[in-house]
Amino acid sequence: METADLTHHISRRFNEDLEKVRNQVLQMGGFVEGQLHKAITALVEGDSSLGESVATEDYKVNGMEVAIDEECSRILALRAPAAGDLRVIVAIIKTITDLERIGDEGEKIGYIASRLATMERPADKYREVKHLGRQVAQMVHTALDSFARMDAQAALKTAQEDRMVDEEYESIQRQCMTFMMEDPRSISRALEIMWIVRALERIGDHAKNICEYVIYMVHGKDVRHTSLEDVAKQLDQAATRR
Amino acid sequence: MAPMWTFALVRLAGILLLGLFLGLIFGSPWLWVVLAASAYLAWQLSNLYRLDRWLRRRSQLAPPAIGGIWGDIISQVVRLHRRKRFHKQQLVQLFRELRKSTAALPDGVIILSGQREILWFNRPAGRLLGLKRPIDIGLRIDNLIRAPEFAGYLQGEDFSVPLVIRPSIRLDQYLALQLVPYGPGQSLLLARDVTRQMRLEAMRQDFVANASHELRTPLTVISGYLDTLAEDAGLDRAWEGPVRDMRAQAQRMNAIIADLLELSRLESADGEAPREPIDVPAMLERLRTDALSRTEPPRVISLEIATARWLYGAASEVESAFTNLLVNALKYTPVEGSVQMRWWADGDAACFSVIDTGIGIPAEHIPRLTERFYRVDPGRSRDQGGSGLGLAIVKHALQRHGGWLDVESSEGKGSTFTCHFPPQRVYERG
Repeated sequence: METADLTHHISRRFNEDLEKVRNQVLQMGGFVEGQLHKAITALVEGDSSLGESVATEDYKVNGMEVAIDEECSRILALRAPAAGDLRVIVAIIKTITDLERIGDEGEKIGYIASRLATMERPADKYREVKHLGRQVAQMVHTALDSFARMDAQAALKTAQEDRMVDEEYESIQRQCMTFMMEDPRSISRALEIMWIVRALERIGDHAKNICEYVIYMVHGKDVRHTSLEDVAKQLDQAATRR
Repeated sequence: MAPMWTFALVRLAGILLLGLFLGLIFGSPWLWVVLAASAYLAWQLSNLYRLDRWLRRRSQLAPPAIGGIWGDIISQVVRLHRRKRFHKQQLVQLFRELRKSTAALPDGVIILSGQREILWFNRPAGRLLGLKRPIDIGLRIDNLIRAPEFAGYLQGEDFSVPLVIRPSIRLDQYLALQLVPYGPGQSLLLARDVTRQMRLEAMRQDFVANASHELRTPLTVISGYLDTLAEDAGLDRAWEGPVRDMRAQAQRMNAIIADLLELSRLESADGEAPREPIDVPAMLERLRTDALSRTEPPRVISLEIATARWLYGAASEVESAFTNLLVNALKYTPVEGSVQMRWWADGDAACFSVIDTGIGIPAEHIPRLTERFYRVDPGRSRDQGGSGLGLAIVKHALQRHGGWLDVESSEGKGSTFTCHFPPQRVYERG
């Protein structure tokens, strides 16, 4: 297993550095997950102060990204890692960018949620948005889990879920348009909702990216811009070759 | 010496003597002795070889049938082996039972190494926290439970109170996590589903808040009419007393409801109090002036500001805690007694004390003082018109600021109530 490789290094310090930066990434991931949950809760429960707190806390995510980025540059410069270790560092550098974007989208959702809290709430209490939010949050969670476990199979499965998120996104979009046509007074709210579901859909894409980095980290295969069916086939081949 | 050893020695001597004897008959006796000794050595070597072969493949071969000292050694080995196997079986049995019992625990149990890596976990832990076997063995627990509060909890020193988190896999759930350190660096992580308790607690809080709120409206109407009645000049003399009493009781009820609402607000507020700077010395001056203007007959209330520190906190909550303590002290101190307020520094921390020369509190009541509606002397305190919630409010307000309430008292001499605020809440000015 790859994690076992991580723990067997000539230089113990190098090992510790890698472990540390990996832990930092997962900590950052945990914080971003929390932000996302809070943002969705703020929307669904109409809690404007919670939404605002999500928006004001986003600077922490940015700080973490910068710190991890620096740490990675330091490792690259000092240790000149090769092969698997290099892939880990590269994957981490890319992952934190996506995590930071997820944080930004969460900030956006929190901000809009605090604005929506002052408006009249729809009868369905944002049921569809809540559902989509849960789905996306789950995706982020399993993506980070597969990162922690170095589990390419789970990463692939999570990446495949992105299609469902896209479908849900489109259906909510259509629904919003119907509302707007039926009742022009709901346009301002529907537009805000559109922003939110758009942000959620983007978060799903970022989670998918993270899954792709996990596959890259474990198998050394760049699976971006490839269809997921091909990726599945490649992974099967890799598994049988072992 | 054991008899078989004597026998073995006698046998060796016999063989050597036999060699010597044959040598004397056929000539060259030393050659014969050497021959006899070699034969003996060869025989012993072959025995040694059989023993060695048996020891190597003990499980498949029956013990070699050799008599004498070799037989004795073999039987001792067999005995030793049997005893060891018995102990091993016992241990394995015990281990299995232990594992079965921890696996059958309704709570999640995770064994962590010094680096907080998962060494083992039982099934409920897997279910509650979404852990997978065997892929998660050896992973750090905070890589999988990524809630920032949990990371903070692991880094802290105090594990006596469990941490309640909402796991990402099931948001409607509440989990209580507690770390139990044992041995060198190792620790157990216990996970329990506390969703039910949390829901009940939330329901109770909601109920109190709603009930108080609902009671308030009718009470407002009643006190409104009573106020009008009391000021009505045409009111029958006989009704004056009853109306006055009713008015006083209605006011008391209003105070109780206000306290209940305040308490439930403090309880339902999430987490820590905000961090606005509070000018405590100025606040205390104001409290003293207010209290002096309200007390009838005039009383001695002194104020000592021993530190210029401010606090970070919620001003309204801190003020309500201080007011409650001051009002309490005035209530239980006779007119000729005195009440002293002190704002002082305790190292990096800050403290507020109210020292009275009142009736004091019997020691057995002190631990229960902050319970709701707890009364030391039921008859007396109800006459004084308290709601019975004052100290509960103080306790909650302090908890939200990371502080605590300390009570010292001796009966008949007076009491000291001290609010402790931790250093991270202290605002050092200048």
